[in-house]
Amino acid sequence: MPLSAYLIMSAILFTIGTIGVLVRRNPLIIFMSIELMLNAVNLSFVAFSHFLDSADGQMFVFIVLTVAAAEVVVGLAIIVSIFRTRRNIDVDEMNVLRG
Amino acid sequence: MINQSLWVLLLPLIGFVILGILGRVMSRAAIRTVAWGACGLAFLFAVWNFFSMLGTPAGAGRVNDAMIYHWVISGSLQIDLGLLLDPLSATMLLVVTGVGLLIHIYAAGYMEDDPSFWRFFAYMNFFIFAMVLLVAADNFLFLLVGWGLVGLASFLLIGFWYQRRSAVAAAQKAFVINVIGDLGLMLAIFLLFNVFGKIDYTSVLGNPGLLSFGSGTATAIALLLFVACAAKSAQLPLYMWLPDAMEGPTPVSALIHAATMVTAGVYLVARTHVLFELAPIALNVVAGIGGATALFAATIALFQLDIKRVLAYSTISQLGYMFMAEGVHNYSAGIFHLVTHAFFKALLFLGAGAVIHALGGEQDMRKMGGLWSRMRITAWTFLAATFAISGIIPFAGFWSKDEILGSVLAQATATGNIWYYVLWGVGLLTAGLTAFYMFRLFFGIFTGSYRGGAVVAHTEEEEENGDEEAAGHGHHGPVGYYYIQEVPPVMSVPLIILGILSVIGGFLGSLALFNVPLARWAPLPNFLTPIFSDVKTAHEVSLGLDWTSTGASLVIALIGIGIAWSLYRKGFAYKENKNPLYQLVLHKYYVDELCNAVIITPILALGRFLNWGIEGGALDNGSKGIGSLLRGTSSVLRRLQTGYMRNYALAILLGVVLIVIYYAVRG
Repeated sequence: MPLSAYLIMSAILFTIGTIGVLVRRNPLIIFMSIELMLNAVNLSFVAFSHFLDSADGQMFVFIVLTVAAAEVVVGLAIIVSIFRTRRNIDVDEMNVLRG
Repeated sequence: MINQSLWVLLLPLIGFVILGILGRVMSRAAIRTVAWGACGLAFLFAVWNFFSMLGTPAGAGRVNDAMIYHWVISGSLQIDLGLLLDPLSATMLLVVTGVGLLIHIYAAGYMEDDPSFWRFFAYMNFFIFAMVLLVAADNFLFLLVGWGLVGLASFLLIGFWYQRRSAVAAAQKAFVINVIGDLGLMLAIFLLFNVFGKIDYTSVLGNPGLLSFGSGTATAIALLLFVACAAKSAQLPLYMWLPDAMEGPTPVSALIHAATMVTAGVYLVARTHVLFELAPIALNVVAGIGGATALFAATIALFQLDIKRVLAYSTISQLGYMFMAEGVHNYSAGIFHLVTHAFFKALLFLGAGAVIHALGGEQDMRKMGGLWSRMRITAWTFLAATFAISGIIPFAGFWSKDEILGSVLAQATATGNIWYYVLWGVGLLTAGLTAFYMFRLFFGIFTGSYRGGAVVAHTEEEEENGDEEAAGHGHHGPVGYYYIQEVPPVMSVPLIILGILSVIGGFLGSLALFNVPLARWAPLPNFLTPIFSDVKTAHEVSLGLDWTSTGASLVIALIGIGIAWSLYRKGFAYKENKNPLYQLVLHKYYVDELCNAVIITPILALGRFLNWGIEGGALDNGSKGIGSLLRGTSSVLRRLQTGYMRNYALAILLGVVLIVIYYAVRG
């Protein structure tokens, strides 16, 4: 399969993730969407790595995975503490920083 | 020679710090001990300095410049805290700490009942520290520091009874006028640095060749220095603060506004005489202002009714004499008169303080009289000081005043300049006026019958000078004659010591007047001579001239005493006098009123205009405009911050898309 197929697949996944972040109200779903975006990027990294015959892209994927894991940990912790104080985790209810 | 000036400087500072921090919780005895101890030890170190100097042969060995630390090193400018010990500063240190110690002792009695006892002595020690810094500094910068700090000490002590509006006003007046002088000194220092590149005494006063004789720069420097001296030493036209400074407690008047601080100007002219010698015009100004001030202040003193005010104007007048001496190149005579004046003027003020203390705060001469038999010690010492200031042989003031008048006459005959003869005449006339008003004061206080109980016609003057001022020192109304008591020993002992000094202090000077084997006896002038050895133009006073001048001044002083005797020996009787000349002098030539009308009212009007027009109109509205503009803009822009996460995420997405499109289009 040509490189473009992988990239188109990656772009589709990224767009789905983006739309998910923008339209969903449950933070858990938003997290999943973010994961989707990260993995879309990972897919294009791996594809490039294969076609350019270089291991650099795969190295980046590992870094991205690590960072993603750390980010989820922090994010879930924040969600838990928000839930404890507000009994609610709907993102549309959280607008206390409004100007 | 050992230079102990550091201890003379530090001990009063230590005393000030202890009293300032702990004074509130200390007992009166402890406060007294600290204040006396600090000042007394400083005096002992000053004496040590002096004797170690006497033990050194005259010459360069008697000058010691102790470097304490480098303060500023910047290019060619190096400023050290250095303490210069030479005959001039040794003399000044002795006067400052010695007279200061006596007044500290006296003040413990005078201020006994004051609730702020500790604050008073903290300020007094601070003043001694500042004054020592002023006279011991070895460069112009620390001179300026000391100069400013004595001004501050004076401000604090004049306004000591800060509950009284008049005291606060007087303190502010003194401070403002002193700052005019500080400005002059500062400008002079800038000019000196411009010419010499350094500001320590050795570099500046040791290299007068860098300034050409009579040049504009030299004249400007000398005149600016004299502005500083005139403000500090209350010379025309900057004298107005000194009479008002009498609002302070009487020991303060004695220490700061008579004996020591006001002589700083005389000291500065003597210290920088090298610069004045280069500027003959400035020196003539010094002599002229000195003479004019001496006469002017003496005429005001003639008819004052407040005893402290008489003494205040006589101080201004005597300072004028000192500048007159310096104006005719006889610097050591100026310093000599400074020393004797410190003795007898401190004594006069302390005596006046004793009277005020005994009368429960009364300062008005119309309510005194007949105290001779009630207060013998005060009366005798006051009489000695009165003779001394009147210049009657052999009291202290005679010798120093005689030397000043003699050198003015010598200058007149040597140059043939008519103005020096005028100056001499002014000096003689002032001597007569001095004798008159001092004996008027003496008779007013001590002879006749006591007028304190009698009701005095209520006049406007009384309201100004009498009631309001007396209110400070615990004024309990008239004290019955038989309740008047001599002051306690803590106050009378300093009076006696100063009394003795007022009688014999003159023998420090030259006895050349009497062509006797003792003629070589002239300790103070000989001691100071090395400092002024570069003055070429001092004219040797011939015996004939000296006697002419002395005889004339003695005769005139005796005439003054005679008039006072004939008018007031049976006691002072106040009569309303509508003579316009009398009213003019009584109201101090209306100088304060003139000053108000010409300077203060326009400045206040200008201030009001600036407050309303510039500050309120332009600045306030301008800054308010900027503020409301920003507020309006931000009230629109803040709508962007919705607080919804999705909006921010969308904004980020749009931004990324735009950046990508930009690079895609650009290629």
